[in-house]
Amino acid sequence: MNIELQINNGTSADARYLGWVPSPCRIRVTNPSGLTGTSVNLEITAKTMADGGQVQFRKGTSGAFSASITLSVPTTGATVPFLAAGKFGQPSSSDGDVAIEVRNAGNVIASNPVMVRIRKNANSLSTAERDRFVSAFAKLNNQGQGRYRDFRDMHVYASLSQSHGAPGFLPWHRAYLLDLERDLQEIDPSVTLPYWRFDQPAPNIFTPDFFGTAGPTGAVQFSATNPLQFWRTDGDLGVNRSPLFPISAAPPGLNNQAQTLSLGGPSNTFKLFRTMEVDPHGSAHTSFEGPIDTPATAPKDPLFFLLHCNVDRLWAIWQKKFARFDPAVAASFDSNPGNKPGHNLPDTMWPWNGITNGTRPPTAPGGPMSSSPSVAAPGPQPRVEDMLDYQGAINPVDQLGYDYDDAPFA
Amino acid sequence: MPDAEEVRIMYMMKKAAKRSKPVAKPKSVPAPMSSKQALSVVTSKVKSVEDRLAALAQVTPAISSNDDNLQAVLGVVRDVSEPVPLRMAVLNALQAASFSVVAFQSCQSDYRATLRKIAQDPNQELRERALGLLAREKDAFAQKKLLDGLENPDKALVAPEKALQLLSYDVHAAAYRAARAIVEHPVSPEAKFEALRLLATDPTAIPMFEKIVSDKDELRANRQVSASALHALDPEKLQSLARNIVLDTSDYDDIKATSLTALKQFGDPSKLAEDKTLRKSVSQMKTKGSALLRQSASQFLSKPD
Repeated sequence: MNIELQINNGTSADARYLGWVPSPCRIRVTNPSGLTGTSVNLEITAKTMADGGQVQFRKGTSGAFSASITLSVPTTGATVPFLAAGKFGQPSSSDGDVAIEVRNAGNVIASNPVMVRIRKNANSLSTAERDRFVSAFAKLNNQGQGRYRDFRDMHVYASLSQSHGAPGFLPWHRAYLLDLERDLQEIDPSVTLPYWRFDQPAPNIFTPDFFGTAGPTGAVQFSATNPLQFWRTDGDLGVNRSPLFPISAAPPGLNNQAQTLSLGGPSNTFKLFRTMEVDPHGSAHTSFEGPIDTPATAPKDPLFFLLHCNVDRLWAIWQKKFARFDPAVAASFDSNPGNKPGHNLPDTMWPWNGITNGTRPPTAPGGPMSSSPSVAAPGPQPRVEDMLDYQGAINPVDQLGYDYDDAPFA
Repeated sequence: MPDAEEVRIMYMMKKAAKRSKPVAKPKSVPAPMSSKQALSVVTSKVKSVEDRLAALAQVTPAISSNDDNLQAVLGVVRDVSEPVPLRMAVLNALQAASFSVVAFQSCQSDYRATLRKIAQDPNQELRERALGLLAREKDAFAQKKLLDGLENPDKALVAPEKALQLLSYDVHAAAYRAARAIVEHPVSPEAKFEALRLLATDPTAIPMFEKIVSDKDELRANRQVSASALHALDPEKLQSLARNIVLDTSDYDDIKATSLTALKQFGDPSKLAEDKTLRKSVSQMKTKGSALLRQSASQFLSKPD
């Protein structure tokens, strides 16, 4: 007997990545030789390596997940669906450190390595996770000649009206991060964007082996084995970044997580919550002296993406806390006919929409949104509303294919 | 943006969030106040700096909500009689508010004018901060001041290395000239390093970078920055130089490690796999080299990503 196991409804190894959100899976018998009946009972379970991720399963769209399920699979070759999800709090640390196994009468007849791929706190990454991330990021930059140039060009003075100072601030940056993360995953599929939790000390980030330490002029110094030493943007070599706070502590004076989550006011509205753009977001940017302290130059510093990953994480946690995933709920967004193009729910977002007319910037670098082997959303030209339901809590097909280590499935 | 009442509600909620946490020193928790009240504390010279800094956090999101708020905080930044930590904090708050780009648009011209004034402040820290913010906005006034300082050190507002670094955000021919002069006659190691960084976009500097990369008497930082410059200006040349450095048994471990990282990260994997001489040398480093060389050799010999 042979069987085919489909993760995220696909057989490609590129699709074998799970989060906390249930992933659609299928199983079918591809060769029934040796079987006598019209169906066979197959047990689906997971085998985890030391410190590996943990996976759980469910047969239908409701009910509890469990460590194993047994499915009756027709011998005709018809597929049987089930759901698999990472067990919250038990992410993977390397690719394939957990396998989905199929057993028949106690014998393993198939085993597919998977990864519970989750965005984590950058301060807590293992050495291997850190090195893989840094290597992929340096390759994306490729000394200023790589795809990162598009990301740099998306966040310049001429385009700031698309991304800042209006309701689209959070959705736009969610798309921006997702696009970049998917490109990193093309280089190394085990990589996710980590976040810099700027309301907590994060000394492990500011080391020569990770995001570097500031030299006497603010030029960041990296270790000889760190490929970020070759970072280059706009022709400029390296990174300039002087922290205005002791790196053993968090930047002082910015809103902490609890304060940020309360910004939505008594009705927990997005309209108020989005004032986080100034504090803590702007305050985190200006806790350094260097390009990261200025809107038009901030992405010259790769730390930008760790900072914004935390901004997105805060929004995700706020959404979960106050049930603000549904675009149809008024408090989930700040819709207003007076909003500029790109800042209302049905609007497509620049630059992925390719529009360069009068209300949009003169160029649209980077082309459409990168696709994912695991999920279909948000498509090549995402709209603002496509960014709200990132876990597919309202509609499973809307999930964007990423999760945070401390934000469970809605 | 939210109106004033919404901002006030927001801060009442924020205050409530603060109260819900364990507080070691209850006296340090500021009393609830509107953004208007907070602004009056920030601008009050009779209040302590600590109180004024605490109130500033409540003012930041409201800075751009009306001109009175903006002018009040700009006044604090401009006032040389105010404590420097307070002026610096207010400057950072203004810059944080500028991230709300659309709302801050009406504040930009007054803010820019204030930065230009602070660029010539008696306090060096504030000067550097203001010049940095202006330079990143490609401000012509700041660029001229920085160049003037390089050409005439008596007029320098910041150290030459800082001036070169800030000029690199928008390089013009005059900056190249100033950088070349400093490479030839460095006033400090830091200034030479920053001059090399600035010249990294100048194709005519390729021979100079080649020489520095190969010069064992040069500082490692200068050789490294020259290697990075060469990789962009002439990638094949760097790969060749990096290979030579790795094979040179008399060169320093840190520059060898940098060269191995460059080869591993940006070299042609198939060519590297076929280079038996290189792989043999790196294999020996993996077992007999220093800890740094062993680490970089292991990375180099690991499977391609």
